[in-house]
Amino acid sequence: MSTPGTHTEPIVGRYLNLELLGRAHRLYVEEAGQGIPLVCLHTAGADARQWRHLLNDAEVTQHFRVLAFDLPWHGKSNPPDGWHNEEYRLTTAGYTEIIRIFCRALELDKPVVMGCSIGGRIVLNLAIKHAAEFRALIGLEAADFQSPWYDTSWLNRPDVHGGEVCAALVSGLMAPQSPEVTRQESLWHYMQSGPGIFKGDLYFYRVDGDLRGQVGDIDTRVCPLFLLTGEYDFSCTPQDTLRTVEQIPGAEVTVMEQLGHFPMSENPEQFRRYIFPVLEKIRKLPAG
Amino acid sequence: MTAPILPLDSLKQRADGDALLARFGRDLNLALIVGDGDLDWLVEIERGVVVRVTKGPLVMPQSDLRLRAASETWARFLEPVPPPGYHDLFAMRRYRRIQIEGDIRLMSAYLFYIKRLFAMLRPGEGQA
Repeated sequence: MSTPGTHTEPIVGRYLNLELLGRAHRLYVEEAGQGIPLVCLHTAGADARQWRHLLNDAEVTQHFRVLAFDLPWHGKSNPPDGWHNEEYRLTTAGYTEIIRIFCRALELDKPVVMGCSIGGRIVLNLAIKHAAEFRALIGLEAADFQSPWYDTSWLNRPDVHGGEVCAALVSGLMAPQSPEVTRQESLWHYMQSGPGIFKGDLYFYRVDGDLRGQVGDIDTRVCPLFLLTGEYDFSCTPQDTLRTVEQIPGAEVTVMEQLGHFPMSENPEQFRRYIFPVLEKIRKLPAG
Repeated sequence: MTAPILPLDSLKQRADGDALLARFGRDLNLALIVGDGDLDWLVEIERGVVVRVTKGPLVMPQSDLRLRAASETWARFLEPVPPPGYHDLFAMRRYRRIQIEGDIRLMSAYLFYIKRLFAMLRPGEGQA
């Protein structure tokens, strides 16, 4: 007999051992549901816990097999052996390869990929370079480029607590209407990130992953593209996303009210209002 | 032009006993100038506690950090639900609505504290 108030979530977590970027990796993956594979990519300096509300949403998982993995060096995915001798840096080529190999390793049939922030940026690169491999692509808080709004050198210094400064910086990226509990949970992820990991992710975001001049190559007839950005996001502003979409015929864009840079974790209920219509459209896409 | 609007004269009372300021302000000593339009205030913090708030005009004050914005900007920041771009100090910085000068290392190390301090100026925050 269970204690009142206890319950088990339908999410299952497992470790996937595979080779990425020429090195052995142990990747932590959570999944729930059945149907169209939907791979979810977390933001910089965080992990796949951001997606727990979507993974627990029965209205989503009755139609979608939702998968969310922690990038190497993040969450419960270990860094590769020898990590202590190097500085972590995410690159466009490396991030793209990780996603494609992950999808192939699990034999996902034309998955949908939905990414937020750095995940949203890399979704644009998937649309540019590998659109035929995917059923649809969803970029949250995504743009071809964003202007820096702080110096990333403050994120990893011996004399400033990395967990506190990373969380304090991103705290303002959430909408004031988002519930206190889910805002604070979103910040907890940032407080737990390894030293220098947020900064290393932002190497991709700020330096290596500038997609200006390339998004015009996206053909949404090959793979539909949906971009959704929160009105309170001043890292990837709605203007950044709208400027990007103007270059991509056929891409659909939504500015989400009362949401910021972490829609799926800062206010899951509000996010449902925007993501459900997108998922419904994807469900109705012709197969193949 | 909007008159100065930040209720800094009540900051000491608002901040007194706040659990988050106590948690994030450990060992913080800070002389902070807050500019509200043409009016400067000096906020002195010792070991995380707001000990003195002095209304300008200030004569050659020593300070570690200076945050200055137009009173119109602060007015929107103070709204119970501030509009996008006015809801956070760095959002204001992103859109060049606030000047932040001084010891950025200190500000980075105590960013939660500083954000909390400003949030306490909103109506209803920290008031009995």
